[in-house]
Amino acid sequence: MAFLEVHDIVKDFGGLVANSNVSFQIEEGEIVGLIGPNGAGKTTLFNCIVGYYSPDYGKVMFKGNDITGFKPFQTNQAGIGRTFQIMKVTTGMTVVENIMVGAFCRTNSRHQAREEAHEMLHFLGMEEISEQYINELPIAKQRKVGMARALATKPQLLMLDEVASGLNHTETDEMVALLKRLNVEKKITLFLIEHIMEMVMTVSQRVIVLDGGIKIAEGVPGDIVKDDNVIKAYLGEKYAKGR
Amino acid sequence: METLIDALLQGILMGLLFALVALGLNVIFGVMDIVNFAHGEFLMLGMYTAFFTSLLMGVDPLFALPASALMGVLLGLASYYWFIKYLLRGPAIAQLFGTFGLMLFLRYLAQFLFGIDYRILQKGILIGKSFSVGPFIFDATKIAAGALSLVAFAAVYSFLNKTKTGKALQATALNKEAASYMGIKTDKMNAIAWAIGGGTVGVAGGLLINFYYVYPTVGLLFVMIAFACVALGGFGSIKGVFFAGLLVGILEMMFPVFGQLVGSDFLGPHFKFTVVYLAYFIIVVFRPQGLFGWKK
Amino acid sequence: MEKVKDALDFTDFSGVERFVLVVFSIFLLAFPWLGAGSFVKAVMIQFLLFSLFGMGWNTIGGYGGQVELGKAQYVGIGAYTVSVSMVWWNIPFWISMPIGVLIALGYSFMIGYPLFRLKGHYFAIATICTSLVLQDIFTNWKLVGAAKGIELPIHEHPDFLYMQFKSDTYYYYFIMVLFYIALFYMNWFRKSKLGYQLRMIKDDEEAAESLGIDIRWCKIKAYSIASAFVAVGGGFMAVYNLYIDPVSVMDLDLSIKIALMAMLGGAASLWGPIIGAAFLVPLDRFLGSWLGGHKGLIGVDFMIYAALIMVVSAYQPRGIWGIVEQLRGKGK
Repeated sequence: MAFLEVHDIVKDFGGLVANSNVSFQIEEGEIVGLIGPNGAGKTTLFNCIVGYYSPDYGKVMFKGNDITGFKPFQTNQAGIGRTFQIMKVTTGMTVVENIMVGAFCRTNSRHQAREEAHEMLHFLGMEEISEQYINELPIAKQRKVGMARALATKPQLLMLDEVASGLNHTETDEMVALLKRLNVEKKITLFLIEHIMEMVMTVSQRVIVLDGGIKIAEGVPGDIVKDDNVIKAYLGEKYAKGR
Repeated sequence: METLIDALLQGILMGLLFALVALGLNVIFGVMDIVNFAHGEFLMLGMYTAFFTSLLMGVDPLFALPASALMGVLLGLASYYWFIKYLLRGPAIAQLFGTFGLMLFLRYLAQFLFGIDYRILQKGILIGKSFSVGPFIFDATKIAAGALSLVAFAAVYSFLNKTKTGKALQATALNKEAASYMGIKTDKMNAIAWAIGGGTVGVAGGLLINFYYVYPTVGLLFVMIAFACVALGGFGSIKGVFFAGLLVGILEMMFPVFGQLVGSDFLGPHFKFTVVYLAYFIIVVFRPQGLFGWKK
Repeated sequence: MEKVKDALDFTDFSGVERFVLVVFSIFLLAFPWLGAGSFVKAVMIQFLLFSLFGMGWNTIGGYGGQVELGKAQYVGIGAYTVSVSMVWWNIPFWISMPIGVLIALGYSFMIGYPLFRLKGHYFAIATICTSLVLQDIFTNWKLVGAAKGIELPIHEHPDFLYMQFKSDTYYYYFIMVLFYIALFYMNWFRKSKLGYQLRMIKDDEEAAESLGIDIRWCKIKAYSIASAFVAVGGGFMAVYNLYIDPVSVMDLDLSIKIALMAMLGGAASLWGPIIGAAFLVPLDRFLGSWLGGHKGLIGVDFMIYAALIMVVSAYQPRGIWGIVEQLRGKGK
């Protein structure tokens, strides 16, 4: 029994098949990347796992429990956290309050929630922005707030949606370092979607490739970059043949 | 049986008018995604316009229709340019409250200007006249209201589907951003939607005054009916709102008749509008896209 | 015990705010001894009552961001429960009022469950519909007096059990106590788990769901809390006015006033509903009595009222408190 098992997921939107019979497994403690060109069905697959969509067919098992068709808040309570590619820029709550909402997932005490939120800010080195509002922050910081509040729900599996998009080189490096720290220090299993290959390759221990809703490859980053199907998907038929 | 058929026919006549009232609400909703709570007050002011035009100028109420229509269009445009435009910058909650404020403002403006009396027109070509077809008796005013509502509805429908401006409006309703890329000015489209919304409901008011009392709070009832029609027909759907209007009209007329037949107190005529409210609630909860809705 | 401590904890407010609160509280306590006339006293009672309503509305409408326009039905439930049980079974206020609150809670769960499938405009209109349906039923329900309403039997001697007093001062202090209970509760609520979760829902529903929040259930809970608050106020209205009818306790205008005061004062802030009520209730009363004296000026008070709503929603949707915060350079 693997940590996360995805069996034969099928999702179609009125004839448009976004995922077709996708299966894979993630072991506890791994860092796994999910890549594929635009429109490959990555986000749909993500949403099928966390419960924003319910799959038309197939099963999602988490720690041996069937979580297929769970609502997003139920998958979160089960131990799966997620971040969003685009953070909604809100003005209603400060950073620390945002993180407290995450912490309230596991506690009813406001004092404990505040304490945990501050610990989280400390861990991420963001204490100085704790009283700011999300709309006042640059995009890299917004992403980190999104991660912080997901982490505050104490997930065992964290799913990150294009966590590096829109970041510059230094910020991307910082993000990679942070992800590795999370994995080692907090023992959180990571599952990340990216469509830029570079970052995934440096951080992931294993990579799954989707194209046209179908899983076309799976393996360690070194093998994936050499895989014909993957090259075809990313660079087109011609390039693969001419190689 | 005869009473049932009679109620059905009367219901269709009222339904045509309801459809016209709801049409304007739905055009504004479709184009701007704003619910205009003041819609009923537009109707009320259209009624007063026809009432006073007819009374003071000695014109037959039917010929006062253009005045009502003009009043409606002006109200719509003034509301948009002087008020609604500014609401658009704020959150949705402010928009709801804003049109609510407009509703209260117009209502109490009317109360200030015209007092709280119930007024009805006594004179007019059609008023008081009726004719019978077989066992059924029809008020001439209601026949005229139903027929002219149908004409007005058809006119707006063909405007939306046949003219360039109408198509631009529909494009805006479908996707504001895409439409603006194609060179359609959102601001202008919004204003046109408000002009149509106000104009149609003004006409409806001019028709309604022929057989219905006007008083400052008359709008609430009709705006609730219009909401029910819009919910039934599907928010933003023009075809849907037509059939929904008919259905609500029939429901409203048939309901008391059912009550009489069954002999139940709780199905009495007092509750005919309760049914409309309940219908709205049940429809949006269980079939949010409306009975005939496709969009959303 | 810790909850009580949290409820009384105002330390995150600025010194000025706390100072104003203290001065205001002293004023409230001393008010009946300041020699105000019965009209002004009545206005103060109305102010406290509407602050209570507004604070209740603020849970779902302010913190939760749901445009709730049907609170009058719960005022009605509270008022009718108290009146009917007193007239029919001679049940004291202190028993019938909690029963009214329980009925309001039960009813709000029943209505809230389908209601919170809806969002935005659909939701706002649906709340009006549910309230109108209940009002229609009561207007035609002969057992409870239909449109004529119910008169409460007047006791010969003041009776605490039935909350019947000769002097308004007693009613004043009673509603003041309710006001403070509400204020302390809201002070607890705004920092509670539910309070935070609602604010998240208002900001970003999708994110809220991803943080383990059952959105619909949270909204239903807040809606029910609001309903309970409002039902308490309804019960008070019955014993204070000694007469209720569907228009006075269930009308749409009442629902709107409740939402409006909170909104105008500043939704989602602790002081907002109180500021809104302090502003609108006297305006309503004094304008009403002043203009009522001039025949032909009917409705002008409401026009001013409506114009205020329009200006606030167009220029500062966060209400008077929003303006204050803006002036102090806090928030944006």
